[in-house]
Amino acid sequence: MSQMSTDAMSQSREPRDPRKSASQARRAPQISAKVAIFYTALIVAALIWLTPVITLVLTALKDAGDFAVNGAFSLPKSIRWANFSEAWQTGVGNYFWNSVIVTGIKVPIGILIEAMAAFALTHMHFRWANKVFVYVLVGLIVPMQMTLVPLTLLMNALNLIDTLTGLIILYIGFGVPFGVLVMRGYFRTLPPAIIEAARIDGCSWLKIFYRIALPLALPAVVSLCILDGVATWNEFILAQIFLRSDELRTLPLGLVQFSTQFSTQYDQLAAAVLISVAPVMLVFLLFQRYFVAGMGGAVK
Amino acid sequence: MRFLPWIFLAPALVIYSVVVVYPMLYSAYLSFFRWDGVAPKKIFVGFQNYVVLLTHNDVFWIALKNNAIWLAAALLVPTSIGLGSALVLNSRFRGSHIFRSIFYFPAVLSLAVVGLIWTWIYHPDLGLANQLLDALHFKFLERHWLSDPQIAIYPVILAATWNAVGLPMLLFLAGLQTIPSELHEAAKVEGAGQLQRFWYVTFPLLRETTLIVLAITSINALKAYDIVYAMTNGGPANRTQLLSTWMYFLTYNYHEVGLGTAIAVVLFSLPLIFAIPYIRLMTRKI
Repeated sequence: MSQMSTDAMSQSREPRDPRKSASQARRAPQISAKVAIFYTALIVAALIWLTPVITLVLTALKDAGDFAVNGAFSLPKSIRWANFSEAWQTGVGNYFWNSVIVTGIKVPIGILIEAMAAFALTHMHFRWANKVFVYVLVGLIVPMQMTLVPLTLLMNALNLIDTLTGLIILYIGFGVPFGVLVMRGYFRTLPPAIIEAARIDGCSWLKIFYRIALPLALPAVVSLCILDGVATWNEFILAQIFLRSDELRTLPLGLVQFSTQFSTQYDQLAAAVLISVAPVMLVFLLFQRYFVAGMGGAVK
Repeated sequence: MRFLPWIFLAPALVIYSVVVVYPMLYSAYLSFFRWDGVAPKKIFVGFQNYVVLLTHNDVFWIALKNNAIWLAAALLVPTSIGLGSALVLNSRFRGSHIFRSIFYFPAVLSLAVVGLIWTWIYHPDLGLANQLLDALHFKFLERHWLSDPQIAIYPVILAATWNAVGLPMLLFLAGLQTIPSELHEAAKVEGAGQLQRFWYVTFPLLRETTLIVLAITSINALKAYDIVYAMTNGGPANRTQLLSTWMYFLTYNYHEVGLGTAIAVVLFSLPLIFAIPYIRLMTRKI
């Protein structure tokens, strides 16, 4: 298959290459058949892969009667935009803003403290760096379930149950391991000479951090912003345990609740799901390459 | 001067210790007690909670078996599809970026949303799965996918797989990009065929990536929770419980905090097996 794709690549560019001889041009029809098969296979695979999403969009656009008669996978008889506004008014709008607040506050604070920690671990000649890093990495494998009961007691004692503030604090704590991992991966690629030079010039560590290291690490910061933003937007279990009242629910939790409450109103439910997915889809399309960069940083 | 790094580390370390580490240790401690979560007195019972789970709790075994099936599926299916699609999409042809986005896309959706979408697909009358079988004249294969106790876990795993392919694909793509193309050229000149080149050049150089992929996939597989909650809520008849969901039921519905935390400890110990090589790899290059 990989051979096939390399062919597709080189051949599709061939007609514009003046150095290619006429004999190769004569072989062209046969080759483009190969290219055509390659693309057809890919497009078919992509369509199958996206079937659930296509179903979702089609369901969100049709009215309930159309869905009941023709099922999910048929073109809507008439497009019904009202599904979106109705879903928005039945609570989804509220869930949406809660998610915006939580993500909007959690991500910047989280990244700032994670970057500071990662900077200390990589550039401050810190004897315990390796031990502290392992201590932080353990958090990557802790299942949420392992913390729920004590956290319930703790949040209860602090009166933070059923508040967005409490949820944000938890999210920041659980975000530390991955954030430190990504930022450390990037800071390690910064030449120590830059930091040393600034030290010699009498720059304080705090100044080096926010004037030199952080700006240089901008690609990693952006990657982390996106990965962390999506993860926070999608988080379910902590929200489920620690948010009790309907008006505080974030989107994933609200949607599941919405689905049990309006289990037969597939049109509105699908519209609600689309509303929750839209920002993620937008971020993904705009900043696609940062997903790769961020994950690359995590495994470096 | 010597304590300055600690000041930089403090905010992250303090909040991480309070929110993650301390609760984790306290959970382990609680797993040795019988407690309903509210009573002022906890009764120390030693390892009894673990014994009860292993001998008197059928659902624990169902959940453990489901976790094992889930883990096996996660190690095989999304990783292979991820590797396959990464190999195809690694070369730059026109539109390769669009296809990468398409195959990665389900990975950015929340598992709750993935669960909801697939619940419609499995709907007995209106869902795509049965309608498709109907159209293909395979009516005898039609099922009440999510309410048939014999099979319900498999449709849920399939839905989770759809979401789980993106990450391995991304990691394999990153891994493939580090392989210098000269190696392939050289092997080609030496007369190595396509399969030989994959087996002797690509595959050995992807060893580290593969290890990371397997570690991350297995850790994520054991964390599965939201999707089951959204699709079946552990039913029918507890047949789709995982350790994670069963822990929730025991703790928050049956107020068996001791049993719940004991499950959490089991759930935490399992990924350690996979995580240790991963953590060693992360800290090696220092």
